[in-house]
Amino acid sequence: MHLETLLQKYCAIIFYPILSKIFHPINHLLAPIYKPWATIAAMSFFVGTMIWVGVILKESYVNEGRPNKSIWTDLRLWTVVSMLPHVFVYWYFR
Amino acid sequence: MEGAKKKNISFFGVLNDSRSCAIIPLWALCPVFSVLCFFVQEVEGIMENIIGLSNIDVSIIFVYMLGTLLLGLFCTRYIGNAEDFFISGKALPFWAIGFSIVVSDIGATDFVAVAGATFRHGVSAANFDWMGSMPAMVFAAFVFVPYFWRTGVFTIPEFLGRRYNAGVQFLNAAIWAVVLFLMLAIMLWVTADKLMHTVLGWNAKWSVWLMAIVTGLYTFSGGLTAVVFTDVVQLVVMYVGGFGLLALSLWEVGGWSALREQVLAKGPEFQQHFTLLLEHDTTGPFPWTGIIFGLGIVLAIAYMSGNQVIVQRTLGARTEWDAKGGMLLGGFLKSMIPLMVALPGLCALILVPHLPVEEADRAVPEMIRLLLPTGLRGLMFAALFAALMSSISGTLNSASTIFITDIWGQGLRLFKCKPLSEKGALNMGRGFTAFLIITTAILAKPIADRESIYVFTQTILSMFQGPTLAILLLGITWPRATQWGGLAGLALGVIFCFILNYTPGLFTSSEPFLFVAWWSFVFSLVVTVVVSLLTPAEPEEKLRGLTWGSVVHSSEAQAALEERNS
Repeated sequence: MHLETLLQKYCAIIFYPILSKIFHPINHLLAPIYKPWATIAAMSFFVGTMIWVGVILKESYVNEGRPNKSIWTDLRLWTVVSMLPHVFVYWYFR
Repeated sequence: MEGAKKKNISFFGVLNDSRSCAIIPLWALCPVFSVLCFFVQEVEGIMENIIGLSNIDVSIIFVYMLGTLLLGLFCTRYIGNAEDFFISGKALPFWAIGFSIVVSDIGATDFVAVAGATFRHGVSAANFDWMGSMPAMVFAAFVFVPYFWRTGVFTIPEFLGRRYNAGVQFLNAAIWAVVLFLMLAIMLWVTADKLMHTVLGWNAKWSVWLMAIVTGLYTFSGGLTAVVFTDVVQLVVMYVGGFGLLALSLWEVGGWSALREQVLAKGPEFQQHFTLLLEHDTTGPFPWTGIIFGLGIVLAIAYMSGNQVIVQRTLGARTEWDAKGGMLLGGFLKSMIPLMVALPGLCALILVPHLPVEEADRAVPEMIRLLLPTGLRGLMFAALFAALMSSISGTLNSASTIFITDIWGQGLRLFKCKPLSEKGALNMGRGFTAFLIITTAILAKPIADRESIYVFTQTILSMFQGPTLAILLLGITWPRATQWGGLAGLALGVIFCFILNYTPGLFTSSEPFLFVAWWSFVFSLVVTVVVSLLTPAEPEEKLRGLTWGSVVHSSEAQAALEERNS
């Protein structure tokens, strides 16, 4: 605990003057951006991942080593099924 | 060696093995026993002890722990060499990998600490199992897992050593060793203090030793096979108990709408308890920018792709499809965890209103004590012990793998000593497992006795995850990344993490670990690129089979890899 306090004092003297000039303007820039952009960004994260696996990646690569051709062994389907509930959750708790 | 291999291949048919059937009923007995006890208690009115657990509950917990120990010890017969001990002889099916990833991952930081964080900050704490799991696990499944699986490595530092140099391997391994050690201490202390002391009234110090001996013994004997097999059983117990607690909690508060109304009516500080993404300048630890950039892009991907505890299970897969499928299944199961832990944490705001905020980590134990009847209460605590024990055993096994492969092995190479034989590596792995569990048991209290375990854990992880992910990504995708670029990116990145973490006032959040992770990732990317461009490129010979294009598309490089691995 004592060491942590010392480290904080040292960093505040040496690094704060430089780093605050970089991070404070970024904080000011981001502070007013909130709803609905936060929700849109989060949902895009999930939808984008589904599109990447389902459409962009090659089927042969996604399912390499697949035990049989049954639809239930298609990992693209697994990805979509497991990600869709998250889109709903981020919409509900927006 | 052949014999051991043969035995290992048949291991996951073990449920059909008559010898294992003598062990399995111990678990089957737990739920049956607990339900029976519930009725017995109703009839006879069994006397409860002062902290709310009856002797029957305590017996169920004992039976459960004993069963876990016996099953783990049973797996010893399938361990013949170091590959069996560390990566289960490459025989794991997707369902075992998925179950094991979830159970190993949720432990100290979920059942107890996420519920506490939700009690304190609201549902935004659940981001760690939603934003922080599924996208990262999909990314890991389709980028990192096939890549590591094809290169045939045991550990992430081992890959970094091949791609960059021995310095990067040693530094990364040393950082992971320290982190896993701290994690172990946290897990042991959480189990002993937040569960055994709070619930059973046992002395926390002795409880640490009890947990250390039980988990240490079966990990010592059965290696990854024991860890994975006990995980599968523990997941079932955990989910039954977890969803039972959720149903009873919601029933008790009057349903979802009533819960929402009552929490929001508690005052202005609870108005954001049902908002997942909080504004950027919140004083709490989970602002939306930190959640998306720090957690979604850096911490989660680094954790799922670079954490030995997670990756080791996929390295033990029998096929590449099993490795990827195991990751996806694990992600799906993991996304249900907030329902079992975060929502009861919210219900605790209503049902345990006297609980002080600084003791929020006791929310779930208090809820169990309050809501569950005798027998089921014992089963639920067995589920919590299951979560914690599996995390401890998984971490122990991974820590010993890293130590043997990347620290001891590198040391022998450095001093030009004879490399360890298969038997020697196995014995050394077991010896280190024993040493580690004893040391963490001694140091558990001074390390982990903190107000918020969850924030402490995430802060530790954020101190190096950004730089590790940066050099891992560049190492795979950018052939121009050089060994000196990787070393500088990792070393300076970790130093930058410390500076960001210990310089107050840079971010509005009181616990800025999410921003530390993001900015250290960006910093390490820049440093690695700049230093790489200033140093001579690596020879093509060294990179064959180690960069994305050659591993995924080149059969020639695959052949080179197989030759190197053999």
